[in-house]
Amino acid sequence: MLGKGGKRKFDEHEDGLEGKVVSPTDGPSKVSYTLQRQTIFNISLMKLYNHRPLTEPSLQKTVLINNMLRRIQEELKQEGSLRPMFVAASQPADPLSDNFREAQPAFSHLASPPLLPTDFVSTMPLESCLTPASLLEDDTFCTSPAVQHDGPTKPPPPALQPVKDSFSSALDEIEELCPAPTSAEAVAAESAADDSKAQPIESNIHKPEGLPESRTAESKLMDPLPGNFEITASTGFLTDLTLDDILFADIDTSMYDFDPCTSATGAASKMAPVSADELLKTLAPYSSQPVTPNQPFKMDLTELDHIMEVLVGS
Amino acid sequence: FLGAGGGNDIQWCFSQVKGAVDDDVAEADIISTVEFNHSGELLATGDKGGRVVIFQQEQENKTQSHSRGEYNVYSTFQSHEPEFDYLKSLEIEEKINKIRWLPQKNAAQFLLSTNDKTIKLWKISERDKRPEGYNLKEEDGRYRDPTTVTTLRVPVFRPMDLMVEASPRRIFANAHTYHINSISINSDYETYLSADDLRINLWHLEITDRSFNIVDIKPANMEELTEVITAAEFHPNSCSTFVYSSSKGTIRLCDMRASALCDRHSKLFEEPEDPSNRSFFSEIISSISDVKFSHSGRYMMTRDYLSVKIWDLNMENRPVETYQVHEYLRSKLCSLYENDCIFDKFECCWNGSDRQVEFLSLCTSDLSSIVMTGSYNNFFRMFDRNTKRDITLEASRENNKPRTVLKPRKVCASGKRKKDEISVDSLDFNKKILHTAWHPKENIIAVATTNNLYIFQDKMN
Repeated sequence: MLGKGGKRKFDEHEDGLEGKVVSPTDGPSKVSYTLQRQTIFNISLMKLYNHRPLTEPSLQKTVLINNMLRRIQEELKQEGSLRPMFVAASQPADPLSDNFREAQPAFSHLASPPLLPTDFVSTMPLESCLTPASLLEDDTFCTSPAVQHDGPTKPPPPALQPVKDSFSSALDEIEELCPAPTSAEAVAAESAADDSKAQPIESNIHKPEGLPESRTAESKLMDPLPGNFEITASTGFLTDLTLDDILFADIDTSMYDFDPCTSATGAASKMAPVSADELLKTLAPYSSQPVTPNQPFKMDLTELDHIMEVLVGS
Repeated sequence: FLGAGGGNDIQWCFSQVKGAVDDDVAEADIISTVEFNHSGELLATGDKGGRVVIFQQEQENKTQSHSRGEYNVYSTFQSHEPEFDYLKSLEIEEKINKIRWLPQKNAAQFLLSTNDKTIKLWKISERDKRPEGYNLKEEDGRYRDPTTVTTLRVPVFRPMDLMVEASPRRIFANAHTYHINSISINSDYETYLSADDLRINLWHLEITDRSFNIVDIKPANMEELTEVITAAEFHPNSCSTFVYSSSKGTIRLCDMRASALCDRHSKLFEEPEDPSNRSFFSEIISSISDVKFSHSGRYMMTRDYLSVKIWDLNMENRPVETYQVHEYLRSKLCSLYENDCIFDKFECCWNGSDRQVEFLSLCTSDLSSIVMTGSYNNFFRMFDRNTKRDITLEASRENNKPRTVLKPRKVCASGKRKKDEISVDSLDFNKKILHTAWHPKENIIAVATTNNLYIFQDKMN
């Protein structure tokens, strides 16, 4: 999708996103390209979401919109693969599908969505306010113990340890490239330093007023959309079109459930259990060792266990 | 654009407009297809309400030699009714997607009309005489008391007011899972094809209980579906050749003699993408909405969102001509995507056949080849392939007096707007001309706006 690279003024108005596609490699223009892409992605989703036809929707239109979404996803995947890759979690889809089942009981009759773990994890660095539960799940299944020294950071799987440095440098990259970062990236960047920076998170959320949609789009992108999207694409063509609504309604709800970016308090509160849990895990390997250092945490253990169970839905 | 004057330049005049005057458009009145019959005497329209209206041209009045006959309503009938698919819990629209006329074989006229699922063969016949003078029946149909009959007489046919009757002679149903977008009658006049999003079927006009599937692009796994069929047409002369276009901007020419299932094309027409014009919407705007063979069959024309392309059947790698319909929309594609206008399916048509002779001829300068297509704001465009000139005209009730030459229109893409020009931002995207038709022999055109049918003719001197 490399365009000519002609620079355009960033314009929040719809028409400002028109025109030739900016090369994604241009520095400041990358923002408007990304924004354009997000907007189009959003629009495409809305078209598939909101169609409540009495008659069958046009297959041609559905196919073209699906192709658009796929292309954007591919692009994101490729961009994500430039960042340090998370090792694919050994348990790909189940935890998330569990989450989805919680959100929408109607979803349960479908097969577990073939979430592509590589899709999901490769996009993680771009957005750290992901479904924390999924991160927990990744941690659960990662066997290699790792000590996380950056406290309240969102917990990358321990397997990431060797590339942790490049991860934080990647976050810095993001910060550089996007002068008006989405709150997601802001959170990622900010939380790397200090959890107590709920303030900047808030300000970043409120600052680009015209961008809430794009942020939602971003988080939509981060959700396991690829997997669900695959399902949707097929069910969109199958005779039972009502599945379409269920699936997309599914995603919608779950995003609002798990997207801490839509509210500042959400961001702060969601970060807390994550960090505590992450501490829990890092200390778990040491449980066989003298109890004394862990004493203060034991009381919270059951509480955290409970929280984890709720989030995982097991 | 086309200036005034010039020996061969057509000067288009308003002739007639059919349909409701008020701005409030009833959904059922939205015109969905327009088609002249082979002689041009009849003009059929189909609408979203499933009705077919046929207009007939008056016989030319010898005293009024400065205008051709007017078109008046000849027959109106309900072709398709809304149906309900109980399996999918969805309605099947009664909207008429296409009408195709059969060549006339006897006194009656035949046409095929189709909605999303069912094709019907309609017979339109005239009745202008009726038998009178029955012995046992009164004129009003009541039976006479036989005892009052004293003499016998032979009933005779007497003229009556013309009555045009339409009756469905064949119903071709249950052959399409997806929505039918095209029907095309073969040059053998015995078979025809119908195309939906994923399949093309071949029918015999006499046989309704079966059809042959000749193209199937449905993937085994629907998740892999990325391309659909958008239009299909039989070659005008070669009864084993047909083409179909796709949503990815390709046209495939198939020969039915090669195999029963024509999944492998004989030719693939595709123009490589212009990298400087690449955008998120490249694929969508490349989707072909209509394909039409020229009358000779040597060329074919395709319409995609922004342009009309002429292809030489002997050259697959690029079109021989490309005409920009409304290039100024290229910078508005995102908005047009959002409001769904980017999915509008514009049709295109060639000028009448008597004026095109494409086999080797010494007099090529006399032969006109013009293509026409619609745009927004009730504009329509014509491209003269010989002079390379183009013109934009408007179908509107304002300023349209019969025999007044239509004023060319111009859209100002950017910068200072000249007087009489219209800026892109003030175009009305709800006023779209998707369907146009050209009389097969004369310079008479039918242009459908949302719910009105305009007829224009060239100025006869």
